[in-house]
Amino acid sequence: MPAAAASTIGIANLPNQRHRIVSRKGANFTIMVLGESGLGKTTYVNTLFTTLLRDYKRPEHRFQKQLERTVQIDVVRAEIEEKGFNVRLTVIDTPGFGDYVNNQDCWVPVVEFLDEQHQNYMSHEQRAQRDEKDDLRVHVCLYFIQPTGHTLKPLDIEVMKQLGSRVNLIPIIAKADTLTPGDLAVFKDRIRDCISTHNIAVYSPPVQSDDEENTRRNQSIFSAMPFSVISSESDVTSPTTGEKVRGRQYLWGVAEVENEAHCDFKKLRNLLIRTHMHDLIASTEEHHYENFRMDKLGAEGRTDDDPAQRARRGLESKMKEEEEALRKRFTEQVRMEENRFRQWEQRLIAERDRLNRDLETQHKTVKTLEEELDELTVSRRK
Amino acid sequence: MPPTSKSVEGIARTAMLATTIRRKNIKKGLAFSVMIVGSSGLGKSTFVNTLCESPVFPKKDCGSPEKAALEKTVAITPVTVEMEEDGIKLSLTIVDTPGFGDNINNEGNFLDILAYIERQYDDILAEESRIKRNPKFYDNRVHALLYFIAPTGHSLRELDIEFMRRLGARANIIPVVAKSDSMNPAELAAFKKRVMEDIAYYKIPIYNFPYDDEEDDDETIEENNELRALLPFSVVGSEDEVVLNGRRMRCRQYPWGLVEVDNSRHCDFSKLRYMLLSSHLQDLKEITHDFLYEQYRTEKLSKEGEDDEEDEVEQDDHRRQQEVVPEQPAQ
Repeated sequence: MPAAAASTIGIANLPNQRHRIVSRKGANFTIMVLGESGLGKTTYVNTLFTTLLRDYKRPEHRFQKQLERTVQIDVVRAEIEEKGFNVRLTVIDTPGFGDYVNNQDCWVPVVEFLDEQHQNYMSHEQRAQRDEKDDLRVHVCLYFIQPTGHTLKPLDIEVMKQLGSRVNLIPIIAKADTLTPGDLAVFKDRIRDCISTHNIAVYSPPVQSDDEENTRRNQSIFSAMPFSVISSESDVTSPTTGEKVRGRQYLWGVAEVENEAHCDFKKLRNLLIRTHMHDLIASTEEHHYENFRMDKLGAEGRTDDDPAQRARRGLESKMKEEEEALRKRFTEQVRMEENRFRQWEQRLIAERDRLNRDLETQHKTVKTLEEELDELTVSRRK
Repeated sequence: MPPTSKSVEGIARTAMLATTIRRKNIKKGLAFSVMIVGSSGLGKSTFVNTLCESPVFPKKDCGSPEKAALEKTVAITPVTVEMEEDGIKLSLTIVDTPGFGDNINNEGNFLDILAYIERQYDDILAEESRIKRNPKFYDNRVHALLYFIAPTGHSLRELDIEFMRRLGARANIIPVVAKSDSMNPAELAAFKKRVMEDIAYYKIPIYNFPYDDEEDDDETIEENNELRALLPFSVVGSEDEVVLNGRRMRCRQYPWGLVEVDNSRHCDFSKLRYMLLSSHLQDLKEITHDFLYEQYRTEKLSKEGEDDEEDEVEQDDHRRQQEVVPEQPAQ
C-alpha cells in the first residue's frame, strides 16, 4: 500500500533516469524526400539541418540520365550532434521519380523500398540472436508538390494514396516563393479538398496535449498543412531589418526562409524536429510497422502459432504436394503401359486373323485341287 | 560594309517600297497564329492574358477534387483576338493546349498536337490544289509555338526534349522559361545556359532568329544576335495592376517585393512580345510558309506518290475538291 510518506521513495526520479538513458543512446531518424526533380528537395534537406548533407546533381552528367527512365533510391547517412545529443540521421532521396513522359508505376520502387525495410526489421526480430541492426524504416516521408497553383495532379494523388497507408506522409508545397499569398491560400484549400475527397492518409498526430500552449501550437501547425516551403543555404542581408537572414535574394526583394509571413518552413521544422519527432518515430514503429506485420502474417495464413508448428505444417504441405506428384506420375506410366499392351494384343489378333485367312485360302486351294484330282481320276477310270 | 552597290536613288526607292507595304498592311491587317504548349500550372493562360492585355482565357476552373485524379486528353482550343500593334491591325489566333503533360502517362500528347498542326497544313494543301482558289482563305497554320519550360533550375526534362524534337520540324518552336520569378538572376542565367546546351546536344530544331550574313544589314544581324542570346525567354505573367510612382504597372505582389512584368531587368516578357508581334512576325510567317510548309508538302506528296498510282492521286484531288466546295459557305 503506497505510503503517504513525508519523504518520497524516489519513483518520481524514473523519468530523469529514462532521460539520461535516452540521451546517451541517441536517436535514429530516417526521413524520405519524394517529388519531381527541380522542386528543391536537396536544398530543403540541407537547409533543415543547416549543413550540406547532400551534394547537388552534377549538371555535366545529366545527359546519361535525362532519358533513362529509372527511379533510384539514394541513401545518405549522417550523424548530427546538438548539445550532447546524437542523432543518426538517414536521408532517402528518389532521383528520377516523376520526371519522365510515362511515369506509370514510378512509385513502385519507393513502395517496395518501404515494405522491404519493414520486412527486414520483421525477419530480424524473429531471429534467435538479435543484435544491433540497421533499422532503415522510414519515419517520415515529405512529398513535394509542384507549385502550379491549380490542384493536385493525378500522379500526386496516386502516389500519396499508396504511401499514406505505409508511412507518415507530410505534403509540402515546394518553391513557395513562386506563389503570391492569395494564390497560395487558394492552392492549399484545393489540396486539402483533394486529400479529403480521395481519403489520403496524411500524418495527423495528437493535437491535444497537457498544456494549453502546446495544444494551440499544434493546432496552428496542423492548420497550415500542406506546408509551403522556401529553402536556401545562403545568408543574405534583409533589406528591411539589415540583419543577415537565411533567404533567397531577388532583384525585387529577399524571400526569407524563417519568416512566418513568407513560408511555413519554421512550422515544419518544429514539427519534424522540435515537437513531433518522437511521435513520428513511435507511430512508425507502432502503427505502420504493426499494420505491415498484420497484413504480411495474415496473408501467410498464420494466426498465432509458434515457429515449430509452422515449420511442421510447411513440411506437411510440401510432402502432400510431392505425394500427389508421385501418384500422378505413377498413374500416367501405368496408363501408358496398358496402352502399349493393348496395342500389342491388337496387333497379335490382327496377325492371327491374317494367318487364319491365309490358311483358309490354302485350304480352299487344296480342296479345289483335290476335287480336280478326283474328277481327273474319275474321268480316267471311265 | 561600305554602301558602294547602293546608290542614293536605290535607298530612296527601297524606303518608298517599305512605306507602301506598311500602308497596305495597315489597311488589310495581319493574321498571326501562336500555339502555347506546356504542363498545366506554368502560367500559360496568364501569359496569354498579359500578352493580349485582356482576359482571353478565364482563370482555371479546377472542378471538383474527384476530377483531379482523372486522366485527361489534350483539348486544343483556338481563340482569336483582334488587337492593334504599332498602328497595324492584328488578328491573333491563340491555340491553347490544356491537358498537355498532366497525366501519369503522357505518351499520346505529342500526337494530338502534331495532328492539329498537320491538319492546318492539309487544309492549305487542299486549298492550293483547287481549281478555283479562294483569295480570302483563312490561313490557320501555326506560325509560332511557345513551349513553356518548368523552372526546375536543373535542365530540360524528357517531356520537353521529346516534344520539341518531334514538333520542331513542323512549327517554329520558341522555348520560354515559365514563372521565371522563382529564380534569381544567377540561377536563371545558369538555367538558360543549360537549356541551350541541351537543345544543342539533342539537336532540337528551334527558331533561333536566323539571319543571312550577305543579305541582312548590320542592325538586323545585331538585333537577331541579341535575341538569340536571350533564348529561352524568361516570362512572368500577371493580370493584376498596381500603381507605382504614379504609373499603372502589371505586377506580381509578394510579401517581400514587387515583380514588374514589363521591366526588362525582371524578365524578358516585353522583348518577347515585341519580337513576336512586331519585329519578327513576318519572318515567322515566312519561315512557316517557305520552309516548314514546303517540307511537309514534299513529305506528304511523295508519300502519297509511293502508295497510290498516278491516276488515283488525281482522283483523290478531284474528290477533295468536291468535298471542300460545300464546306466553303460555312467558313
